[in-house]
Amino acid sequence: MNRSYIRLEAVDLLYSSMAYKERSLKALLANMLNRRGARASVIHDVHALKHVSLEIREGERVGLLGHNGAGKSTFLKTVAGLYPISSGKVTVEGTVRALFDLSLGFEPDATGRENILYRGLLLGLSPKAIRALEEEIVAFADLGEFIDYPIKTYSAGMMVRLAFAISTAVGGDILLLDEVIGAGDAKFMERAKKRIKSLIENSKILVLASHDFAALESICERGLVFHHGEVVHDGSIQSAIQVFRKINGLSELI
Amino acid sequence: MTYLTEVWAARYFWVHLALSDLRSRWRRSFFGALWSMLQPLFMTLMLAFVLGRVFKLNVLHYAPYILSGMIVWEYVVSTAINGALAFVQADAYIKQCRHPLAIYTLRTALANLIVLLLASVTLLLWVLVTLPGNFGWAWLGALPVFPLLLAVAWPLATLLAYIGVRFRDLQHALGLVFQALWFVSPIYFEARFFREGGLGVLVDYNPVYHLLEIVRAPLLNGTWPALTNYAVVAGCALVLGLLAWLVGRRAESKVIFYL
Repeated sequence: MNRSYIRLEAVDLLYSSMAYKERSLKALLANMLNRRGARASVIHDVHALKHVSLEIREGERVGLLGHNGAGKSTFLKTVAGLYPISSGKVTVEGTVRALFDLSLGFEPDATGRENILYRGLLLGLSPKAIRALEEEIVAFADLGEFIDYPIKTYSAGMMVRLAFAISTAVGGDILLLDEVIGAGDAKFMERAKKRIKSLIENSKILVLASHDFAALESICERGLVFHHGEVVHDGSIQSAIQVFRKINGLSELI
Repeated sequence: MTYLTEVWAARYFWVHLALSDLRSRWRRSFFGALWSMLQPLFMTLMLAFVLGRVFKLNVLHYAPYILSGMIVWEYVVSTAINGALAFVQADAYIKQCRHPLAIYTLRTALANLIVLLLASVTLLLWVLVTLPGNFGWAWLGALPVFPLLLAVAWPLATLLAYIGVRFRDLQHALGLVFQALWFVSPIYFEARFFREGGLGVLVDYNPVYHLLEIVRAPLLNGTWPALTNYAVVAGCALVLGLLAWLVGRRAESKVIFYL
């Protein structure tokens, strides 16, 4: 058995400014024609992660703190292998299960049951494995007869419930959570929390990004504070929350 | 190679995507899958009647000529044009899960291939009824056209998808390019028209001609396709595959920023 770990060495990540400019063949031709003309305002690359070096070992429960746009989500997506880094090195050992935007990727015309299959396939499961999980997912989502209705008839809350039930039916060595706790009605929330708990207990590494201090304190031991793309603090979760409060208090004054 | 293994590992997913494309395509029409067989047939009947009169050609022979050209060309064009949008349309998947991006163009190529298979049933029936004398072993020579088409259209679509992510108006430009290609290729017009007009170059050096010959030589003339025909098409597939691989190696990981 290999031990799971996440290691980042001097990682920089820049969003290419190219992606925000007008992108069409027309624009390209127009630019080539009046290249001599004064350049319009230059949009700079966004430096989303600045020189991040850290290691997360097996058994650690890490909480990410930071203001909006500080780099928490970018960090998670980098670990999940979705974002390419500009320089440095990322090594991740172990299967990664990420819960990011849950409502993406549903097919509105298909029924709930069909969508269980589709999403399972998206997550890389075989049809056989999904059939084995299906009843359990249906029971957890608790949608009653709606499970056989097309997704487009669902309310937003029902959609989240189904998505949550599917995405959490399979665990992984490394669990990445981005603000997923906080949808659905109170009754469902109670069960969702239990489920997350058991997922967390069964995973070897957990990284959770959240603004909910209570949740962070109860789940995590280690805390990382992100500020404008940099990791400004790495320590116990209590100290991280303090640092986060302090930084944010300061930035509010300015 | 490892890339292809990853594509294979995700096979359940892209097969499902291709089938769901087909479902939504047929769900909306009365004839369903039958429509994919009837539509080229009606088009052909109309064109064969008009063009046959104008050029004074034997309609029985000319109609399957048009039909074969139409369905194969339609496959290439629709795979390329839909493929150019493949990444943009799959953004919800790309943002959530790390699958090799080529599966999203494979999905398009595969769904269209199934449509082509259906349409080619029409072509086979037509030829069996009107030109039964052509039936023979040589028909086996037409079969490789399906894997070859996939081998050409998949990397082509992938290449265009990378460009399509960067330049969102690529589709319109592609429409023009394919229209131009259509004009200079023996798709509806017989190859001998080009030769007689001193434009034999447009036939002999045109991959589209060689591609179509793989179907036309067996079905319309009852002869085996020439080795050159296979070689040219396989060469195209190889070049496109290499290009798609080279572009993908540099651009694949950055696609997510452009979605």
